[in-house]
Amino acid sequence: MTDPTFRAGFDATLETAINTALRYDPGTAARLQKLVGKVLAVDLTAPKMSLFVLIEDDGIEVHSRWNGEVTTELQGSALAFLQLLKNRDATPAKLGVGVRGSSAFLAELQSILRDLDIDWEEPLAQALGDVPAHQIGRGLRTAAGWLRDALGKAPGAASEAATEEWRVTPPQAQFEAFADDVAEFTQGVDRLEARIALLREKLSRRGAN
Amino acid sequence: MTERKTTHFGYQQVPVEEKAGRVADVFHSVAARYDVMNDLMSGGVHRLWKRFTIELSAARPGQTILDIAGGTGDLTARFSRIVGPTGKVVLADINESMLKVGRDRLLDRGIAGNVETLQADAQYLPFPDNTFDCITIAFGLRNVTDKDLALRSMLRVLKPGGRLLVLEFSKPQSKLLEKVYDQYSFRLLPFMGKLVADDAESYRYLAESIRMHPDQQTLKDMMGEAGFVDCEFHNMTGGIVALHKGIKP
Repeated sequence: MTDPTFRAGFDATLETAINTALRYDPGTAARLQKLVGKVLAVDLTAPKMSLFVLIEDDGIEVHSRWNGEVTTELQGSALAFLQLLKNRDATPAKLGVGVRGSSAFLAELQSILRDLDIDWEEPLAQALGDVPAHQIGRGLRTAAGWLRDALGKAPGAASEAATEEWRVTPPQAQFEAFADDVAEFTQGVDRLEARIALLREKLSRRGAN
Repeated sequence: MTERKTTHFGYQQVPVEEKAGRVADVFHSVAARYDVMNDLMSGGVHRLWKRFTIELSAARPGQTILDIAGGTGDLTARFSRIVGPTGKVVLADINESMLKVGRDRLLDRGIAGNVETLQADAQYLPFPDNTFDCITIAFGLRNVTDKDLALRSMLRVLKPGGRLLVLEFSKPQSKLLEKVYDQYSFRLLPFMGKLVADDAESYRYLAESIRMHPDQQTLKDMMGEAGFVDCEFHNMTGGIVALHKGIKP
């Protein structure tokens, strides 16, 4: 068994990180107030771990054990949970995440997490003052926008270079025509196989007579 | 002439009737700086040890909990939230100075209503039989003169099915860790005690009392002999601390 000190440290760190973030997003903190007293159980299958998130009036608590009532229990891999949080169209069923208990609580929690808007400038402003914090915040937002833009364009640009410049892949139309030919050929072979099987059966029947 | 019964006070042997007074002097001396020293001595890890204790206590709303040797009230504060307005937490300590610090801290944090503070000796708990759902004693049992008597007293006031949790320094499980820990306890700890609380002697006693405390298996056996069932222990931070749990049948 892992030393309980590590697990307690993990829970405490996660709890502090979430509560600190919530302090800089009053809107989310206010929405969570409506869910006070509810408990989310998360049963991770890979890596194997259970945790319980309690919503309290001054933030959240993270526990490794819980003996009280659970509002909603989720079961799945860490990767599936990340996609569930990140992707607006993702549903637990699509990602293979098992749900037990109240799905309304889960839907509300998902909506809150997706609308999370942490004012990162606030802690910077407290440490450095309003003007430097705003300048740094603007710089970071511009950099993040550029990065998002570049990452969004990257797949298209890479495919164009591979096809037109380096000629390591065929153009899409050519590839699709080739794929159609292969499919047609496969169907022809299947038909031929079926025809041979039929003829073989007829011959064997004639031989028996 | 009759021979006087003695017990250990750190590495010294003292008459049994003197130990409680001597322990009291140590805690009167360290009470004001107890939390600062705890954070400093453990690097804040004592909070994680206490966190695990709370998890294992399985405390629920409406329950009645005794935090004996509760000192500055760390566990009581947490239990007070868990048991809620329908439950009750009793913060008890034999030492008046520690209890005063604990009561003031709870009031400063706005924790009141379901908490009682009480000066009490773990060996002679002043409660009716079958009163509590859970009892915790964190870093207190090693200072008790007669540990068997205290365990039996705690068993008496627990309800059937009630849990006792003993959080206490114990024996490190690796030789290397034990050596490092010895150097830390006997060299660095009294030095820090001198620096922060101007009291090297009290912190030397703390280090010595830890070494005189029963190891994991011995304490588990003692709990079984006192009448607890399903006794178990969890080593934490390599066995520097252990959390023992027993159930009243």
